Amino acid sequence: MSEQGVSRRNFMIRTIIGIGAFIGAAIAIPLGGFGILPVLRKKEPDWSDAGTAADLVVNEPQERRFFQTVKSGWQEERVERTAWLVRKTGGSITAFSPNCPHLGCGYRWFSQDRQFKCPCHASLFDIEGKVISGPAPRALDSLSAKIENGKVLVKFEIFQVGTTKKAAA
Amino acid sequence: MVKGLLDWIDERIKIRDLWNDFADRPIPGGSSWFYVLGASLVFVFSLQMLTGIFLAMYYAPTPDHAYASVKFIQEVAPFGSFVRGLHHWGASFMMVLVGLHMVRVFIFGSYKKPREVVWVIGVGLIAIVGGFAFTGYLLPWDQKAYWATVVGTNVAGTVPVIGGVLLRIVRGGTELGAFSLSRFFAIHTYILPWSLALLAGLHVFLLERAGAGGIWNAADRVPYRAEPLFPNQIFRDTIFILIVFIALAGVALLFPAPLEPQADPTDSTYNPRPEWYFYFVFQMLKIFEGKLELLGTVILPNLGVAALLLIPFIDRSAERDPAKRKLVMTLGALFVATVIGLTIAGARAPIVNAPAVTSPSVLAGRAIYARSGCSACHSIFGKGGKIGPELTHVAARRPDAQWHLKHFRDPQAVVPGSIMPKIDLSDKELQELTEYMLNLK
Repeated sequence: MSEQGVSRRNFMIRTIIGIGAFIGAAIAIPLGGFGILPVLRKKEPDWSDAGTAADLVVNEPQERRFFQTVKSGWQEERVERTAWLVRKTGGSITAFSPNCPHLGCGYRWFSQDRQFKCPCHASLFDIEGKVISGPAPRALDSLSAKIENGKVLVKFEIFQVGTTKKAAA
Repeated sequence: MVKGLLDWIDERIKIRDLWNDFADRPIPGGSSWFYVLGASLVFVFSLQMLTGIFLAMYYAPTPDHAYASVKFIQEVAPFGSFVRGLHHWGASFMMVLVGLHMVRVFIFGSYKKPREVVWVIGVGLIAIVGGFAFTGYLLPWDQKAYWATVVGTNVAGTVPVIGGVLLRIVRGGTELGAFSLSRFFAIHTYILPWSLALLAGLHVFLLERAGAGGIWNAADRVPYRAEPLFPNQIFRDTIFILIVFIALAGVALLFPAPLEPQADPTDSTYNPRPEWYFYFVFQMLKIFEGKLELLGTVILPNLGVAALLLIPFIDRSAERDPAKRKLVMTLGALFVATVIGLTIAGARAPIVNAPAVTSPSVLAGRAIYARSGCSACHSIFGKGGKIGPELTHVAARRPDAQWHLKHFRDPQAVVPGSIMPKIDLSDKELQELTEYMLNLK
């Protein structure tokens, strides 16, 4: 092939590769964003109605089951949730996520011992959620909670387990 | 590094031979802008596959969720409108390019020996592209989806003897429902893509075996000239693909894919229209009426496909120069002119009903009417009870909005002796219900 023929051939090959790369990127970016971004969006949870406040005995944790409306893209679902509610002496309220921050087991309140106990690896927590003993790396995860018109409202969230810092999953 | 890896692979499976066979395929008479259409179809089809796969990540093929999921794609998901736009308009681009590709091959006489089988597979590919367009339609479950599919599947019902059974097989039942949507989805996303990919692969492979036709007088040209597929022809293909891509992306950005209100089987005010590429069929259905209907729905379309399939076996002379194939060229031009003519006539077809109800308050009013049990006593378009007055044309009798509002709140005050109960709704809802009434002319 002549020298001119070789340079023409190289020009064509480079153009093919260049256009291919341009179109590839112009397709990959929107498709990647479309495929990934909707699931990465952090969703601020809404308040869920966790029942009446009047039944709560002061300083006596109680487990409450309630429904949270969860939006999954175009679908809204009512998902059953549970949380530990503690009414304080002043009337304010604390809510704890039902999963042990160690590895996610469901713990419960033992009234006679005044402790939350996790049945998996024996982590113990006091009524404030602080770790008394056991492998739990942090205190129980508190949830935003308030009382409005006699109803307990809770913002239910799921947290990462096994870490010293509390962070939404 | 790359060369080392290629050497390693080549030593085992000889990929360089394979590539050279492909790249060095000679094109008699040299590369040309006329030959870029096939490659552009490979590109648009690949893009349809990609966008389709990503759309399927959010789409739900059930009548109660399909519309909401498409609305989410269109209005909420980042890049959703663009991705759906590419897929929607990509179908139109496929249609245009596939038509041009066939016309080009026809004019160049490239379907002749030794490429007859390549042509036959090509006709099959066009049928598959049509199948894609038809099944893709229904998936958004909006008004257009619903009504175009009702009409389209009814065409299958006109086939003699087996029509009834055929209709149920195509629809997945006697009427459109969950089975229709899931089977259309399965056909659109599993059966057709595999069929098209395999047949298109065979189409290209057999062309490779038979050899490209090139220009008709290549052999007579002095000196004889031929160029390799790569990079000469692929270079032109790539430039054309870039133009197609920019055009398609531009259309997708400027004209978002339409999404009409959700499918409503009781809406008799809607004007069903197919996509433009089915206008010629739509128009044929209007031309052939009564006993002749079968001609438009079954006989002519099948004869058309049969004619396309048989072209290389009927027109067997070795002559490829279009100037010396006057009869064949005339017949081909007539065929193309008929399709274009029917398409234009279909596009201009007068709309029978007034434009569909789209005002949000009227739609809201219709929903209130449906959920408030009004149809227990009243009927509209023959549906509902006979106790109260018929409301199909109520606005013609009662055009005054105030009359309706007053009547809803206290029927006996307006019509003494009426047995209609008071309607306990908010002012806004009564207003919407009134707008719906005033729309019934």
